[in-house]
Amino acid sequence: MRRIAWAGAVALLWVGVASGTRPSAAPAYEWVLPAGFPPPDVPADNPMSEAKVTLGRHLFYDTRLSGNGVQSCASCHQQARAFTDGRARAIGSTGEQHLRGSMSLVNVAYARVLTWANPSAARLEDQALVPMFGAHPIELGLDRADGWLRRLREGTRYRALFADAYPRDPEPVTRDNVVRAVATFERAIVSAQSPYDRYHFDRDETAISESAKRGEILFHSRPLSCFTCHGGLHFSGAMGSGPPGMMVQLHNTGLYNLAGRFSYPPNNLGAYEVTRRPEDVGRFKAPTLRNIAVTAPYMHDGSVATLEDVLDHYAAGGRTIEDGPHRGIGRNNPNKADAVRGFTLARAQRDDLIAFLQSLTDDQLLRDPRFADPFQSHHPAPRR
Amino acid sequence: MTRRYALRATLLLFLAATPLAAGLAQAPEPTVTVAGDVATPLTIKVDELKTFPRTTVEVQEDGRTLRYEGVLVGELLGRAGVPLGSALRGDAVATYIVASASDGYRALFSLAEVDPAFTRNDIIVADTIDGKPLFAYQGPVRLVAPKDARGARGVRMLQRIDVVRLKK
Repeated sequence: MRRIAWAGAVALLWVGVASGTRPSAAPAYEWVLPAGFPPPDVPADNPMSEAKVTLGRHLFYDTRLSGNGVQSCASCHQQARAFTDGRARAIGSTGEQHLRGSMSLVNVAYARVLTWANPSAARLEDQALVPMFGAHPIELGLDRADGWLRRLREGTRYRALFADAYPRDPEPVTRDNVVRAVATFERAIVSAQSPYDRYHFDRDETAISESAKRGEILFHSRPLSCFTCHGGLHFSGAMGSGPPGMMVQLHNTGLYNLAGRFSYPPNNLGAYEVTRRPEDVGRFKAPTLRNIAVTAPYMHDGSVATLEDVLDHYAAGGRTIEDGPHRGIGRNNPNKADAVRGFTLARAQRDDLIAFLQSLTDDQLLRDPRFADPFQSHHPAPRR
Repeated sequence: MTRRYALRATLLLFLAATPLAAGLAQAPEPTVTVAGDVATPLTIKVDELKTFPRTTVEVQEDGRTLRYEGVLVGELLGRAGVPLGSALRGDAVATYIVASASDGYRALFSLAEVDPAFTRNDIIVADTIDGKPLFAYQGPVRLVAPKDARGARGVRMLQRIDVVRLKK
């Protein structure tokens, strides 16, 4: 493992020292990554700092960031589940059930597209406003007049945390600074220490089983070619640095094929809801497969319960629903991605593929105190 | 032959005929084949590539720089008698190659694209990445086209290169 100092912060510190003034920049942020694993790009207007990560971590776990004080970001993004919630579809602070499941925040710093199906959502700072203030559905349910900021200003702990994170701001407890800190904490959640990573980056041949190695070959070979949509370092075509100028591809995997105008269930039509192009009905992001073994249930609406069921879905080239309002033969969906062609796997091959997917579980991340609830006694916040 | 030796010989014969023994037999040595419209079809052992002139290329992928090393495709084609350099002219320019993987994946290049005298694409058959052997899902050898903006022609698990000369 290596630690990569964030060069910009180092430079600012050096300037401060060289000029004989008190350094006003936050200490350098150090990414903990294996050699060869690149750090993410960070927006120039919201650089990383340890102080901002610490503040963001508190805010992320603080129920004062919901209108009725019952939920925090962590309610739907739980560390032990790779920052998902184990539900098919998320439930907001007022009990409203969402149409889609909570997405993993792991390696979200590398995401070129955020959310399940909005090809234009790219900045975490912008996206954070949706759960905070969105009303359709209500998630955290904060009031837009920002009365909730008073609750943060009242405590000495937050006054100190904000002052450390934003030392140049005379009144740092603002909505923008909350959003910046939460986004910074989310960027810090990087999974790069799974058995797969030890096998690939440390060349530890014993890190993953022979079965997982065979599964990796299946994953990258025809007829499965899972990498077509789940490619790259993060096992998601929507993450990492793609080819220059190439748009992120969203995919219709043949989950549904309803009769009528739209082939997917109402109000959950994928990229179509943003683009209004008929060919985008049912197109959703291929999420990261890192830690996929702990993020069940699967798909945008959590309608597939297990990894075995996921394999069944793709092996059939789409899902067939016999009865009910969603009945239809998904493999015949007119927008279905060419990559979802179907395949046959022997039992042993299925086991190999699942062993490979399980090798992507980063147990260290799931227990890392840096990302744990600072309000719990067994995960104390850094001393201030 | 004593009874004890006869028993051992029978046992050895039995074992040799079982699938277990077949599994223990050495897997065929990995090779790359150059065939099609060539003067001298070749089947080259992957280990032999180490003795050929070597080329290193760098590829940007996922925000990191990967260094692949191997043998220029043009070098292999030259050994198979494919017209290159000054001989690559006239009708021969309408020649292409198809690189095929063990899983059936294929990619096509024009012959001129892989001729170092024609273009400096440095398209190689790589057997190492960052100085180490390729992973099983990549190799033992793969094609690397470092100037391609997308990686789709970087055929992994490369098995053969077929040369096809267009005919009227």
